[in-house]
Amino acid sequence: MTRPNSLYRRLLTWLLLPLMALGGLMVLQAWIEARHTADRAFDRLLEAATLAIAEQVQWQDDRLWLDLPPAALEMLATDAEERVFYALYDARGRFVTGNADLPGPPRESDGEASTLRFRDLSWHGLELRQGIRRSRLEDWRQRERFEVRVAHTREGREGLTNELLRANLVYILGMAGLAGVVVVLAIRGALTPLTRLRRAIRARDPRTLAPLELSLPRELAELRQTLNELLARMRRVRANQERFIGDASHQLRTPLAGLSARAELALRQDDPQRWRDALEAMQATSARTSHLAVQLLSLTRLDNPEYQPDLLPLDLGTLARNAVRTHWAGCHRDGIDLGVEAPEAPVTVPGLDWQLEEALGNLIDNARRYGARHITVRVVVTPPVLEVEDDGPGIPAAQRLLMLRPFHRGSDDPEGSGLGLAIVDGIARTHGARLRLDDGTGARGLKVSLQFPGEAS
Amino acid sequence: MIHRLLCLLLLWLSGASLATADERLHYPAREMDGEAPGRLVIHGALDPTYARPILADFHARYPTIDLTYRNLDTLPLYRRFLEAPGEVDVLMSSAMPWQYRLANDGHAQPLNTPEARAWPAWARWRRELFAVTFEPIVMVVRRELIERFGRPASHADLLALLQRHPEVLRGRVVTYDPNVSGAGYGYAIEESRLSPRYWDLIAAFGATDTALAATTGEMLEGLIDGRFWLGYNLLGSYAREVVERHPGLEMVVPDDYTLVTQRLALIPRQAPHPDEARRFMDFLIGKAGQQVIARETSLGAVHPALTGPGTAWALRSSHGDALRPVTLGPGLLATLDDLKRQALLTRWQREFTRHQASLAPTASQDDATRPADARQ
Repeated sequence: MTRPNSLYRRLLTWLLLPLMALGGLMVLQAWIEARHTADRAFDRLLEAATLAIAEQVQWQDDRLWLDLPPAALEMLATDAEERVFYALYDARGRFVTGNADLPGPPRESDGEASTLRFRDLSWHGLELRQGIRRSRLEDWRQRERFEVRVAHTREGREGLTNELLRANLVYILGMAGLAGVVVVLAIRGALTPLTRLRRAIRARDPRTLAPLELSLPRELAELRQTLNELLARMRRVRANQERFIGDASHQLRTPLAGLSARAELALRQDDPQRWRDALEAMQATSARTSHLAVQLLSLTRLDNPEYQPDLLPLDLGTLARNAVRTHWAGCHRDGIDLGVEAPEAPVTVPGLDWQLEEALGNLIDNARRYGARHITVRVVVTPPVLEVEDDGPGIPAAQRLLMLRPFHRGSDDPEGSGLGLAIVDGIARTHGARLRLDDGTGARGLKVSLQFPGEAS
Repeated sequence: MIHRLLCLLLLWLSGASLATADERLHYPAREMDGEAPGRLVIHGALDPTYARPILADFHARYPTIDLTYRNLDTLPLYRRFLEAPGEVDVLMSSAMPWQYRLANDGHAQPLNTPEARAWPAWARWRRELFAVTFEPIVMVVRRELIERFGRPASHADLLALLQRHPEVLRGRVVTYDPNVSGAGYGYAIEESRLSPRYWDLIAAFGATDTALAATTGEMLEGLIDGRFWLGYNLLGSYAREVVERHPGLEMVVPDDYTLVTQRLALIPRQAPHPDEARRFMDFLIGKAGQQVIARETSLGAVHPALTGPGTAWALRSSHGDALRPVTLGPGLLATLDDLKRQALLTRWQREFTRHQASLAPTASQDDATRPADARQ
């Protein structure tokens, strides 16, 4: 609750703030209501007083005459001892008698014979409530209009208002307290499953990837579901890794066992010529094994998701020509036609030259090994593509994706490690390039292409 | 001879001085170390005879306050205050409606002291207006009248007396002229509210050619020298001392109803020395000041803790049911209403002159019916 960014606090704030605003509104409304009620009660006094005075208004000596009943004034003063003012005005608004020249409302057109109005008035620094009665004489001849204005100060009204408000305030405060307690309890109850989830995760064995089994409300069940999906992915990744390690150790064990058997066999013989043959064979095997170890190493490095090398701009054409130059002699020896198709203008992409060289080497090597007669290394300008095409047996479309997995081989070739295409795939990923396996020209052979992102520059 | 001289002196003090304007009492501040001298200006409608013991006691308690008391008649006091509301610190007057009107119009400032809070609710209005005395309105009768006709103990007795012996009492009765005296008008309003028989009494007064006076002092003067046998509606506080010194007179507190008037004190909102004013008010409504009023004046102390002679308590225990203190409320404002005043004085005059109408029947017919017609 004291931490700045807490769900509990946020909920509490957003529930209690509106609650408090609502409470404030209720208090305001209660005050207005109380004031209104008090005014209504006390306005009766003004009404009675104006009536008592109006009844005493007469026509005498050719003028309005008032024999003021003291009781009319006394009824305006309650226990609160209000100040009392009264005045009588004639039809033209002239002061007839009274103890104060009270301002009246603007004169309206003479509609009804008798009207009664109340209003609040601020007069000489006093807050007054005024009652105004318009009436007329009910004499035989005289129908003179007149206006009685009385006013008193608000002490009695304020007293009643406060009394009413106090009763309401107790009620409102009680409700607010109850609501606050309920809100706090509700938030605590709602956040309990979160605590349970946290405890369940913390209590788990750190090595286990088994899904979480915990009954949770719907919103948290979604979180649990996501968490379980993540765990499932991690389980698959771990299975892949385990298989890779198994395959790798298997691949390394076979040539090592061969080496060991060959050496044992040679040691049983005394002929130096046999020893030499054995040593030559052992050298070839160990060279292959070390090549395999290098490939495994580079694949491990490429598979590391945290491996982010700095890419430098390089020319694909130069790269292709250099690769052809490197491998040409070997291919020529085996009677294979290795050629390059690259534009004269440089096709520049960001990349690592040694990686791309290895990729090209792997692809040319693969093509040679699977019996191609013609191998073409090609560079396309737009979009920048590096491809190697051969006229070998090719790979059926259904198996192409499998070929990218380590140790998967298209045929039982003892020479191949089964890592070539997997390494090319890793290099393509490092460069953000797309690796495609397609049929070669004329639906024969295989075309492997690396399509680099963006335009060549 | 000495006796007569003393009488004259007393007369001057109690009666005649009521009408005299602008008498000053001044108590200069005594120098004292460490205390800054204060000032206090009091305007009162209270005779110096009565004011002096109160002021002297206050000054003895607070000698560093330079005290000025100015005795004014009730109406000049009211008008002078409205003209210069910032020159006076305490306003004391027996003209209850006028004092009430000043407070009602917001000219008084509230006094929030323990003394003010302890003051009985019936003797104050808000915490602005304090009734500090308790003075019954009484009759003063000469012994000659008591010996001949018995003691008129109530208004009913008086009415019967007047109706039975108009010839003997002709010109021997005196009362306030409400047309001239504000106090007399105030009593008339209160009495007419109390009972419709008041008008019979006025008619009886008219029938005996009752003399009309402007002040209590004037009436007492006539009673002392024997011109009048009966004075009606005299201020008890003034009459008491005179009666005590004149065995020929007797004061009658009517036992059916007795009006009680009270002097009202307030501190104006613009009082130049409010601290001193509050101190004086606290003294005036505190036990100390009230004790002075009870012991050394005949004004009647109001303080509820005080008993014994010279207090409201004493008067209540002897005339409890009959006492009708003037209610300190907005009803007093009606007294000041001009039309009300005209209406009452017209009625009063009509009742007072009724006997003349009965002497001339045709004229009386006119006189009696005209206002009644007009009222419809």
